Amino acid sequence: MTAADIQSASRPAAPAAAPQPSAPRAWAASLRRHYLAGLVSIACGLALWEVLSRFVVANPLFLAAPSQIFVAVLSLSASGELGRHIAVSGLEFVIGYAIASVIGIALGLAMASSVLAKQVSQPWISGLYATPTIALAPLFILWFGIGIWSKVLVVILLVLFPVTINTEAGLRTTSPRLIEMLRSFGATPRQIFIKVSLPSATPFILAGLKLGIGRGLIAVVVAELFGSRAGLGRLISQSADAFNMPELFAGVVVLAVAGIAMTAGFGWLEGKLVPWTRD
Amino acid sequence: MTAKLAASGLTKRFDALEALRAINLTVAPGEFISLVGPSGCGKTTFLRIVAGLEPATSGEVRIDGKPVTKPGGDRGFVFQNDNLLPWRSVLANAMIGPEIAGQADAAARRRTLELLKLVGLEGFEHYHPRQLSGGMRQRVNLARALAIDPDILLMDEPFSALDAQTREIMQTELLRIWEQGRKTVLFVTHQIDEAVFLSDRVLVFARRPGRVQENVEVALPRPRTLDIKRTPDFVRYVDHIWRLIEDDVRASVIEEHA
Repeated sequence: MTAADIQSASRPAAPAAAPQPSAPRAWAASLRRHYLAGLVSIACGLALWEVLSRFVVANPLFLAAPSQIFVAVLSLSASGELGRHIAVSGLEFVIGYAIASVIGIALGLAMASSVLAKQVSQPWISGLYATPTIALAPLFILWFGIGIWSKVLVVILLVLFPVTINTEAGLRTTSPRLIEMLRSFGATPRQIFIKVSLPSATPFILAGLKLGIGRGLIAVVVAELFGSRAGLGRLISQSADAFNMPELFAGVVVLAVAGIAMTAGFGWLEGKLVPWTRD
Repeated sequence: MTAKLAASGLTKRFDALEALRAINLTVAPGEFISLVGPSGCGKTTFLRIVAGLEPATSGEVRIDGKPVTKPGGDRGFVFQNDNLLPWRSVLANAMIGPEIAGQADAAARRRTLELLKLVGLEGFEHYHPRQLSGGMRQRVNLARALAIDPDILLMDEPFSALDAQTREIMQTELLRIWEQGRKTVLFVTHQIDEAVFLSDRVLVFARRPGRVQENVEVALPRPRTLDIKRTPDFVRYVDHIWRLIEDDVRASVIEEHA
């Protein structure tokens, strides 16, 4: 082998287009590879649950079968009741979550860029993050009434801290090497922030927002349990009072589906926004 | 000929540690100079001071007669770890210099595309760093430094993370690129044969304190190909430099394992 051969061999080869299988078949194949085991597991779980509740527990006061829950979901949707509850809880969640995201990211930015801001807010954030602030929900209902705003406040309190903490951590852990690289080109602190710190903190911020989904849903439901006129928490507590297990489970199932869907949506968003973290 | 770069009495202390003591160096325009020496001899610190990334404790570096106080567009730094931004494409990474200078216009883009071609990355402009091999990432690293069209290239062990074969290829590629522009180069390396192969002059550093032990002129003809590494002259240079730093290297190895 001559030097020229080695040279051409080590040169990166021109990017070749890989032969693509037809799209639907590739999609089905990837579905099988990634989701088949999970789907089978869920199906078996549901079947076991059905058998348990119908033949072992056999008492609808204690456990509702998946089929009964399904019927309850259908009838609640047909009457429009489910839609009403979802609308109220959804509104509380969306308003609270949006406000918490904006404040949380802003607070995280402030803490990362100013030592004073960090020293002032750190003890509050550490303290409140670990405290089950959800226990304050009855107090908020007393202050802000039984309507949506007391719930919005609880959502804000629960979602705010993971977002703040992650934003701050993400900005603080920006690679010093990347900052130095930018500095070698004469970048100003502002350019370093926009071109390096912010993009490299984005995966952390998204992770904080993702954590906030579950906490926000818990906040909505628990706050509604303490006192509300409508919402999924209200549906659940009403059904519990009436020993209507299928409807209680219907509320829980809707929440579970919402949580799963939003988390999956976030996973998709992460793939689009921060693909470099995916390997 | 006036000096492109001149260091005089350059000293750097990190608290009690004297990293560099009274470095004097004059570099002519277009000269290719390597800095070799054991770990901890201050060669990278010297490069960082020239880059303006680190202040000297005393003494100064002048470029074209003007003292260095901060990074500038007259110097392009090629990093040991490629330090590519993972969210940017190859082209966007290479464009970061002009972008920071506020000159990311169509002309700069055209020039950068030319440079990517020069470093052998044609067709990969829109790839992302995670899709590239180590050698290709270092090519982007080099193109990024060249994109600001600096007078001086400062290269900090750019090939140290590459496997032996890729490193040899990158050495010949670097010479090929350098022959076309003849920029002044300061090249820090651990590899003695790399230093001899590339350079007009090899500065051999000693440690504790970091200082220039010997200035070895490499009188091998250019353009050079890898074959030259098997000539007796080449081997003599390598042996000579190795003997200069052997004791220091042993000492630093023992320290690292202690």
